[in-house]
Amino acid sequence: MSEPLLSVRDLKTQFFTEDGTVRAVDGISFDVHEGEIVGLVGESGAGKSVATSSILRLVDSPGEIVGGEIEFKGETIFGLEADDDGELRPRDEMLTENEMRKRIRGREIAIIFQDPMESLNPVFTVGGQLREFIEINRDLDPDEAKEEAIDMLREVGIPAPESRYDEYPHQFSGGMRQRVLIAMALACQPDLIIADEPTTALDVTVEGEILEMVTELQEKYDTSFIWVTHDMSVVAEICDRVNVMYLGEIIEQAEVDDLFYDTKHPYTSALLDSMPRPDRTVDELRPIEGVMPEAIDPPAGCRFHSRCPEAREVCREVHPEPRDLSEEGEPRHAAACVKHDAFDVGYDESPPIDTRAGGGFSAGLTETGGEAE
Amino acid sequence: MSLLRYTLRRFAQAIPVLIGIVTITFFLANQIPGDPVEIMLGPTPAQEQVEAIRARYGLDRPIHVRYFTYLSGVATGNLGFSIYYDRPVLEMIMLRLPVTLLLMLSAFAFAVATAIPLGVISAKRRNEPADHVSRVVSLIGVSTPSFWIGLVLIIVFAFYLGWFPARGLVLPWTDPADVRGAATQFEVLRQSAHHLFLPMIALGTLQMAQITRIERSSMVDSLQGEYVKLARAYGVPESTIVRKHAFQVAQLPVITIIGLGLSTALGGAVLTETVFEIQGMGRLIITAINNQDYELIMGTTLVFGIVYVVGVIVTDITYSYLDPRVTYGED
Repeated sequence: MSEPLLSVRDLKTQFFTEDGTVRAVDGISFDVHEGEIVGLVGESGAGKSVATSSILRLVDSPGEIVGGEIEFKGETIFGLEADDDGELRPRDEMLTENEMRKRIRGREIAIIFQDPMESLNPVFTVGGQLREFIEINRDLDPDEAKEEAIDMLREVGIPAPESRYDEYPHQFSGGMRQRVLIAMALACQPDLIIADEPTTALDVTVEGEILEMVTELQEKYDTSFIWVTHDMSVVAEICDRVNVMYLGEIIEQAEVDDLFYDTKHPYTSALLDSMPRPDRTVDELRPIEGVMPEAIDPPAGCRFHSRCPEAREVCREVHPEPRDLSEEGEPRHAAACVKHDAFDVGYDESPPIDTRAGGGFSAGLTETGGEAE
Repeated sequence: MSLLRYTLRRFAQAIPVLIGIVTITFFLANQIPGDPVEIMLGPTPAQEQVEAIRARYGLDRPIHVRYFTYLSGVATGNLGFSIYYDRPVLEMIMLRLPVTLLLMLSAFAFAVATAIPLGVISAKRRNEPADHVSRVVSLIGVSTPSFWIGLVLIIVFAFYLGWFPARGLVLPWTDPADVRGAATQFEVLRQSAHHLFLPMIALGTLQMAQITRIERSSMVDSLQGEYVKLARAYGVPESTIVRKHAFQVAQLPVITIIGLGLSTALGGAVLTETVFEIQGMGRLIITAINNQDYELIMGTTLVFGIVYVVGVIVTDITYSYLDPRVTYGED
């Protein structure tokens, strides 16, 4: 396969709070290639949004990227090296804050946020905001940028874009505002768009329309996407490849069909079981037991063992890194679960553990529902 | 489009409020024990003299008749006659109002000009030394009465240092011939600024402190807004984010506080004028009350009411101009 557009290696982002260090993103690696839509899936609090803001180096204080590497089109967005005294410092080729702002944010990597109601500034016109970002990121003069903005509004299906250009965000519905945000991202002509749960706050019919539109526009502009979501049905609809996150780690990584039909991690199975699927008829949906533990003090061993129906004693002790479990010649399919023979840590001989008692959570909440629903 | 109609409607709505002010003041002033005539003529006046004066000012008529006479007078712009000054009330007010307005305007100008940068810097450098300093200053500012600040300023800057005059005020538009030591209009202006400086700070400090606090918390909020994150993610320079994206949203509560500050500043003006011996509306209202000068009490109160109502209306109009979500209440 060709060089990836974006390559994230062992990324670690932590929040230094008064209660301790929150390891929100704890060593994730994934690639995004040109023209593909890569899913980043997980429950609320899995670290998906922190991972995406790390890619733009926009982690809010007290958060900080503490390790790993982010390469984008041969440029180093983040990378540390040890100096003579063994202290870590940014590598020389790492882009400065100024370069990030001028060359990467918006221009190369654009973002679409989750909440379309809050993301637009209430006191400026929709068109004005669009035009400003286009001007900055495409070096156009105001008139050209305005023309571009109107074209893009039309492209994302906003009726009468010339007159709506001068309207304010509160005059737009939620779905329309999300279209505006998508137009904003596309109009800057980036190579990569990060969509951070863009349809979560919308109702299902609007969500469907937007997904369809994004799929079309993605093909037309050949932009790569990182699509962050907790919704497996959204993943099924638009993603090419998927990364499943749990408590700051990627626990399964596969092409979308492999993930759905040859699921290798019990957490992914649990996520899939908790949502309705057209290809399976079940009497009732099975929510995942318990709630996700705090990232401030993650469980030892496999982080999912406290809620995992297949957990055994060994899972308390061994912390698995994702390994490629695919057959020769097949696309990569990695999972971080010791039940697979490739790990060879004695899973089969290990006694099972009762996760319901052991986990300490019996609330039985449906956690896949996540935020904003 | 309907901004003009909205403005007119708001002013029309203010009329009942002003009638209310006139009514309450009228009856309150007339309830004060005693009589202006007694104060005028001393403790043992001749009976026929009292009656002559009472008749001259219409005080011998029943109270409801006087009320309606006064009300119709106000409607035609006649605020009555000051017994104490022996001049029409309106004339006295026109003489004194510019002084108070000048004082208030400069106090608010000082407050806004210092508070907004202070609040913005404070919010931008939240929990850093600059923020702590500005928060302590504004806390002291809101908790110190303006007359006390005035006295301290007089003691330090007028008495010990002698940098500024301690009393009086020169209006900037006074004829140079009437001002001692001023040959040109420019020198009058300079003297005016010189006189105005201490009272301006005395009156403006409270406003400054309040505006700083609101500006800070409002900017802190808006700097955490999703739209600010979005602007950052699209490479907008931080200075533009602070000056434009976050700033404009953050001004909405600030405008409200400035509008509300008008009422406290009117009260503060009375005290400040007393401390600095400035012949403004504040001193006029005090003289009026002390001498039971009914029509002067009512006239000055009404003018204060008008200033306040106009301030609130201007605030609302500014608000709807700045925030596109505010409609003019018409479909």
